[in-house]
Amino acid sequence: MSTLHILTHSPFADSRLASCLRLLSADDGLLLCGDAVYALQNGTRTCEALELMPSSIGLYALQEDVQARALQVPERVQCIDYPQFVALTLQHAKVNSWL
Amino acid sequence: MKFAIALHAPAHSPAARRALRFAEAALAGGHEIMRLFFYQDGVHSASSTVVSPQDELDTARQWREFVAQHQLDAVVCIAAALRRGELNTEEAQRYQRSAASIDAPWALSGLGQLHEAIQQCDRLICFGGH
Amino acid sequence: MAQSLLLISRQAPWSGPGAREALDIALAGGAFDLPLALLFLDDGVFQLRKDQQAVLLQQKDLAANLQALPLFGVEELYACQRSLVERGLVADQLGLPVSVLDDDALRALLGRFDQVMTI
Repeated sequence: MSTLHILTHSPFADSRLASCLRLLSADDGLLLCGDAVYALQNGTRTCEALELMPSSIGLYALQEDVQARALQVPERVQCIDYPQFVALTLQHAKVNSWL
Repeated sequence: MKFAIALHAPAHSPAARRALRFAEAALAGGHEIMRLFFYQDGVHSASSTVVSPQDELDTARQWREFVAQHQLDAVVCIAAALRRGELNTEEAQRYQRSAASIDAPWALSGLGQLHEAIQQCDRLICFGGH
Repeated sequence: MAQSLLLISRQAPWSGPGAREALDIALAGGAFDLPLALLFLDDGVFQLRKDQQAVLLQQKDLAANLQALPLFGVEELYACQRSLVERGLVADQLGLPVSVLDDDALRALLGRFDQVMTI
């Protein structure tokens, strides 16, 4: 059963992203929102790691959080709005928010 | 589909706003929200005593209006709320406190309500953090 | 069929009410006889250290509640091996009988449950 993981903490201040990446299964999804979108900052190790993830893992970022922070998102990552966020939770069997 | 939404962050947290925007989108998409459960610091998002500056977002008020408008089943965890000073009139009287901050459309109840929601929903989604 | 819940507890014991509030969800679920497992991850593994002295911080002892889990029907207790190793915790320092899982086993565990909450 695939899981949509949701992260909201900056990877530069917190271990959640690192732990989450180790627990991702092949068909899981990862949604970055809030300060977690800083993981997409160009030229960083976290961004490189995300870009190298297997293509079977869906990578998403909440558009408003990306735009508000003036980030440029790599092609590998799909920016989504709230209706797409709702749809994404239904495309996976369950949602794991890393509170 | 039936969503259960848990909020673990206070009204001033971006997560409280994000949860509300998600809930609005879920209803707009024709889905049902079978229960809201506010736990941990999320109990502050149900507080009626939040005062936001006029030119700032008032997420607690927006949540209250959203819940009332759609007549949602909206539960605030009683143990988490008491610990954080968010009481309804009944609890304020019981513990002889001078202020109550939780009122309709919110109800104080226990963790059993969370487990019931987990059993009955199609998707549980928790919001918290930043 | 009841929905099974995997609860992931990743807060250190004395950093605030997080560890206790995660445990409260487990105890409540156990009391309702629901299928539930508890996984200690990241700093959450510090909850497992035996001989802690909560009283020095004027806190309630978490150990007593952890010990009560099997009595509440919560018998599936797991800890993340990598989290334990990273934090220098070894088996005989743990005060609770947990199954220690590597990352592969953790992925399988996560896949097995209907719902998951990480606190």
